[in-house]
Amino acid sequence: MIRRQILALIVAGTLFGLSCALLATARAPQSPGTVSDVDPHTAFGSKNAPVTMEIFSDFQCPACKTLFTATNSKLMDNYVSMGKVYLIHRDFPLPMHAYSRIAARYSRAAAQVGKFEPVEQVLFQNQEKWEQNGDVDGTVAGVLSAAEMTKVRALVKGGTLDAAIDKDYALGQMYRVNQTPTTVFHCKGQTYPYPGVMSYDILKQFLDQLLSQR
Amino acid sequence: MQSSPFNLRRAIIWIGRLILAGIFIYAGYSKIFLPIVHPHPPIGVALSFFAMQVDSYQLLPPRGVNFVAHTLPFAEVALGLLLLIGWRLRIWATIVTLIMLGFFAAVVRSYALGLQINCGCFATPEPLTIKTVFRDGALAALALLMTIFAFMDARKPHPWSSPEKA
Repeated sequence: MIRRQILALIVAGTLFGLSCALLATARAPQSPGTVSDVDPHTAFGSKNAPVTMEIFSDFQCPACKTLFTATNSKLMDNYVSMGKVYLIHRDFPLPMHAYSRIAARYSRAAAQVGKFEPVEQVLFQNQEKWEQNGDVDGTVAGVLSAAEMTKVRALVKGGTLDAAIDKDYALGQMYRVNQTPTTVFHCKGQTYPYPGVMSYDILKQFLDQLLSQR
Repeated sequence: MQSSPFNLRRAIIWIGRLILAGIFIYAGYSKIFLPIVHPHPPIGVALSFFAMQVDSYQLLPPRGVNFVAHTLPFAEVALGLLLLIGWRLRIWATIVTLIMLGFFAAVVRSYALGLQINCGCFATPEPLTIKTVFRDGALAALALLMTIFAFMDARKPHPWSSPEKA
């Protein structure tokens, strides 16, 4: 009698677990399969790298700054430049941040003159300053030459950059991004959405596991 | 006089066992097999993905993160099954309660610090919000109640057991 009850409970528990798993699978974010609409100016590394990382980021978000300062340079040195990871910056300016869309426009414009990296760096490093006074222009001007800055200002005023930002934002919504930073890893047809900051040591471990998959 | 087998205390023990067992089994399963990812990745990939979620709580050094990430999912499945079976219930209920209180403390701390992190509870990209805090609080309270009642219930002879012989 007791054995039968035990068996019934085990079966019930297993069925419950499996049905929950099926429910979760049904609600899983839809993966677009391949990475599309990549602006080559805001992407780093080889397109043929086994792992692709799309980082949905907001220049005014403190956690995005933490991810950038704590992880980015090591990731670039050890994985991106080694051809193991293709890193894509995606703009996801949150409406609650007054200047994040302006910062995204400047970084997009800087990307078009081939200066995305220094502008991304200066925007994150001086985040506390420009989010107080809104002086994104002055912050960006600090790392660009006068000629480059003239081009960047013209592009920002031109109003054509919002389309690319909106495209990234729409892509983020498709992945159900609801906070920044959110990193979407792609490897062997698999998609792993990860919201939040990650330390380099633990990220390294995950990337190594992904790369060792047969 | 023999007490009824169907009283509120026993009902709460059963509800607690079924709910917590289901949640623990599913939580462990989802961390080990990552059902949100298709095609399903190997267990090593799934556990290192979970390690990133553990790490985001900023509570443990890398070694501690790895230890938790590689043991917790299996412990959750085992504890869920043991709760369901009911063998040595007081021991497993106490451990489940301690784990639930630990989860609750971690979630409250992260929420209070304003950490924008993923809950990591079911290996899904679920942001940690006030809803998570209340959910974990309710489950910790249920686990505590279940354990207290399991200890109280153990003091009395089971209503289905045969009467003691003189």
